[in-house]
Amino acid sequence: MVMVVEKGKDSDAIWRIDALRKVLKEVHSLFVMFYGSIRAMLEKDPSGGLIRSHLYPFIMDYLSDFPVGKKLQLPSFRDCLKERGTVQMLTMGREAAIEVQSLVSVLDSCAGNSSCYSMILFHDLLVSTTLSPDDTINLFTYAVLRLSPNALSSGVNSWSYIRRGSTSSHFVSGSALTHSGPVSEQIYHSSDTSPVGNNINRVTRALQHGKWYKGKDGFLVTDIWGVDVGSLVCATPTVWLQQTEEAMYLCPYQFKSLTLILLIPVSSILNGEQGVALVKQQLLENASLKILKVEEKLSKGWGGENAYHVSGYRYLLVDGDRNISRASPPGKVTTLAKESLLALSKLRDEVDLEKSRAKRDNAGCEKDLEVSIRAKNNAWAIARITGGKELYMVLEKASETLLYASDAVEKFSNRYCNGAFSLD
Amino acid sequence: MSGKASSSSQPSIGLSGSGALSHIYIQYPPLRCSIPESRGLHYDDGTKLLIPSTSNQIFSWKTVPFNPLATSTSDSIPEGPILSIRFSLDTKLIAIQRSSSEIQFWIRETSEAFSHRCRSDSENILGFFWTDCPLCDFVVVKNSGLDLFAYDSVAKSLDLVEMRKLNVCWYVYTHESRLVLLASGMQCRTFTGFQLSSAGIVRLPKFDMAMAKPEANSKPVLAAEDVYIVTVYGRIYCLQVDRVAMLLHSYRFYRDAVVQQGSLPIYSRKIAVSVVDNVLLVHQIDAKVVILYDIFADSRAPISAPLPLQSRGFPRSYSSSSRSSGKDGECSEVNNKIDHEGIIYGDNWTFIVPDLICDAIAASSSETPSVLEFLQRRKLEAIKAKQLCLGIARTVILERRPVSMVSKAIDVLVSSYSLSLKTGSYFKGIKTESTSSGVAKTSVARSSTDVSTSRIDGTSIRHESTAGVDSEYPSRASTFSASESEENASSAPLRTDSRDLQLGGGKVDRVNLTGAHSSGPTDNPVFVNISEQQDSELTSPAISPDEMYKFVFAAVEEEMVGDPSYLVSIIVEFLCSTNMEKIKVHPNLYVLAIQLLARNERYAELESFVTNKILEPSKEVALQLLESGRQNIQTRKLGLEMLRQLSLHHDYVSLLVQDGRYNEALRYARKYQVTTVRPALFLQAACSSNNSQHLAAVLRFFSDFIPDFRTTSDFTTYYGILNEMNTSVAATSF
Repeated sequence: MVMVVEKGKDSDAIWRIDALRKVLKEVHSLFVMFYGSIRAMLEKDPSGGLIRSHLYPFIMDYLSDFPVGKKLQLPSFRDCLKERGTVQMLTMGREAAIEVQSLVSVLDSCAGNSSCYSMILFHDLLVSTTLSPDDTINLFTYAVLRLSPNALSSGVNSWSYIRRGSTSSHFVSGSALTHSGPVSEQIYHSSDTSPVGNNINRVTRALQHGKWYKGKDGFLVTDIWGVDVGSLVCATPTVWLQQTEEAMYLCPYQFKSLTLILLIPVSSILNGEQGVALVKQQLLENASLKILKVEEKLSKGWGGENAYHVSGYRYLLVDGDRNISRASPPGKVTTLAKESLLALSKLRDEVDLEKSRAKRDNAGCEKDLEVSIRAKNNAWAIARITGGKELYMVLEKASETLLYASDAVEKFSNRYCNGAFSLD
Repeated sequence: MSGKASSSSQPSIGLSGSGALSHIYIQYPPLRCSIPESRGLHYDDGTKLLIPSTSNQIFSWKTVPFNPLATSTSDSIPEGPILSIRFSLDTKLIAIQRSSSEIQFWIRETSEAFSHRCRSDSENILGFFWTDCPLCDFVVVKNSGLDLFAYDSVAKSLDLVEMRKLNVCWYVYTHESRLVLLASGMQCRTFTGFQLSSAGIVRLPKFDMAMAKPEANSKPVLAAEDVYIVTVYGRIYCLQVDRVAMLLHSYRFYRDAVVQQGSLPIYSRKIAVSVVDNVLLVHQIDAKVVILYDIFADSRAPISAPLPLQSRGFPRSYSSSSRSSGKDGECSEVNNKIDHEGIIYGDNWTFIVPDLICDAIAASSSETPSVLEFLQRRKLEAIKAKQLCLGIARTVILERRPVSMVSKAIDVLVSSYSLSLKTGSYFKGIKTESTSSGVAKTSVARSSTDVSTSRIDGTSIRHESTAGVDSEYPSRASTFSASESEENASSAPLRTDSRDLQLGGGKVDRVNLTGAHSSGPTDNPVFVNISEQQDSELTSPAISPDEMYKFVFAAVEEEMVGDPSYLVSIIVEFLCSTNMEKIKVHPNLYVLAIQLLARNERYAELESFVTNKILEPSKEVALQLLESGRQNIQTRKLGLEMLRQLSLHHDYVSLLVQDGRYNEALRYARKYQVTTVRPALFLQAACSSNNSQHLAAVLRFFSDFIPDFRTTSDFTTYYGILNEMNTSVAATSF
């Protein structure tokens, strides 16, 4: 896959290459999650018609999350305190964690002997997962984009940086990028109007906006995957797991701010939708009380959208080993001066280079790194890498000495990173 | 179940099949008291003596503590009719009812006698009893009311203290409840009660018992044998048989009220009621079965299916009468009929106020959590209840019962332990033991010296959680303190090896437990050998988290096959319960959880277990993470990180060096002044990197860091190596 980005005169079009690469990687991973490998599709239809008819609407739907106003806004230097392709975790107390774990074991054993996987989110943060790290990222990304309570309320109050604060309704109202273009219209036209049951040529638009809604039983349903002919219920979506290459039914359940995603092996369900309905019912019977309890515990400890804000700091913390990141809330990052962000973006570009060089030269050995640079506006842009963890920081008030800046990092490291960045 | 079948059974009766299964056993051998020319057999519940009598002699057997070989004491008394006998509570006096108007008192020490007679001829003595009420010592129940007397030991006479006038048809009294119920009225269903407790005399409000009418205008009369006073969990109840309605009504007594509690159905024209270790036993005599109720819970459902009463280990032999009681389960029935010991519920059985022990057989009951709850309430034979609980816990896990059910069961055990901590009953046994064996014990205790001393200091509770199983299973009884070698011998297997397992059904009651679970791994039960010595020490069946780990999780883990995630779920449930009760968990349990997760390669989840502190940080946990991290670098990192956060500097630095990260290790060593790691380790590591600059840097570091480093052999050795390296580098570069 190749992404071509046109560099405009606009000053906002200063990109970090790695960030763009991550966008490409994300859309690819999501596509594979829903449709399987591109290679397999090409083998099925060497002319490429099949893959095109899937890719086009998929990428258009994906890109529709990026526009700000009428423009397509790819991640720019302003997003340098964000890391695509990572999950954001909820920090919780031991008691809540135990409750969650107890719920997880109920979820995973929901379908009897066949092992299900589960993922739990609270608001837009990951609480727990039994999936492999890669599958976790993909499903987490999709959940935040389309399934979480915020996504369901179509981003009215979006604060997660995965959703850019845009809403699909904005976007549909007209722009060059909307799917009202001639090609897409053609594709959709044929599929949308085709009668139910005759959906051989139908293209499921997995990322289509505004198609998920919450059913009476708390499970989220969508008609994106069509309607089951026999029972006239919406067909349950399926996804492919990267690790096990197994097709799974995707059953999201929502209770208040808590989203549970249950993945049931397709192979374990013999009678299709009926079987899925049975497992769902089992989940309600076995887990309802626990779900209630977990929701209550997590709500109690919930610090709000700005919970992870540390005053005086604008930071991004990435744990590359675990694919986890945490950052200052977007609302706080916007208070930074453009110069500061530009400086950090530049710094990150350099660090990315250094990282890839180290990776090439010496696989397996981790490189420790510490860079602090002074921006034009006298802000400090700082990067520290140690033991696979990365910390990026902008300190605008620390306009004094390097020692001051270094101290500030040390303090932050000790208080919020268990001293991971303060080894000497 | 007929008497015949039972009489032919062998000692292994409990496991020979469902036909021989029983909840309640009469202890065998019985107490045999064959007295030639015996005229009557009495039981005095105040002193718990069994009293056969002849015309001029009284024999008495102690029934508590039960010993089938107990010998009797005998008193020769003046000849005459004996209607009833009761010993004074200090057993110095014997009160003998000679007629409906005369009670004779026999002073045993001096062999003197004096008599008490009713004042008027119209008065009839219905009965009498001794009491420990501060107001009086002796109470006579007459048809005209109660007379309360104090015994004057100097004048050797009874002084009337108080009279309570009322018409009495009959009465019931138990010493255990100190409650006397006086029946009056046409149907004998109006009751007045007095409790003669050590706090004084409490008069209970008058109340009527319910009686169904067989037909209009007929009024059945309540008989004394249809009313039972029972004490369960310290509460006093009265049970009344309604023969017409076929119900057993229960009433609970409060200080100022009597409240009807509900009714239990009965299935036999004739029933008897006894209470064994707070469990209500309703003997359905016609049906020859016992139904067990635990009336602590509000439920009216029986604990278990009705099963026959059996005589445990009953061989074919006969004696004049049996008094059943003893160590493993029993009921207190007296079989007056000579030659028919093998017959259960013989026509002539008299049920005497019971106060003995029941071996509740839990296996046939299906509701595990409630069974555990029930077992945890056992006070007598606590060690057995405890072992049963441990056995049940193991079994439900091995059988992979639903997590929700096991979770409830664990909840029961944990909250019971928590309660026992609060009430202190968990440590009672330990404390009394430590005082009894005193200083000698401290001096002889080997591996658990600190525990023993702390116990004597009275700080046992704090130590308990860390001291491990040693302190909870005080293995040394006082008798052992005298001899050190003996003490060591007896306690060693217990303390050092919890896997010293006793396989098979060495213990009769253990076999009974598993008898109904005739499937799967329980056939060959793992049972931890805990010597009888401790049994007597233990007063609570509560199970500490350490014991849960050792005797449940660790034991089960060894036997479990297949997917370990089930056990992980169970451990999580256990942590849930302990967290709720704020009880600390043995770090080894965390270690076990890590092993299980790693075995499943669930490293990502393991990570969330650690980062969320579900597995609390400790050195043991960190080391296990490092161990499991051999297969997974992230897990290893977690272990390292934990060592660092626990400030275990030495271990941390050593591990960094091991990983070849000696630069980092040196920085860390300097920052935290870790001087315990030998420089040679660093030098060795730097040397093996074959980089002279690194080696030089390390040498330089230690020269600065350790004052006399330049004089050590390490320095000279590695300095030499460095020089060699440099020359060889120089040579090759040429």
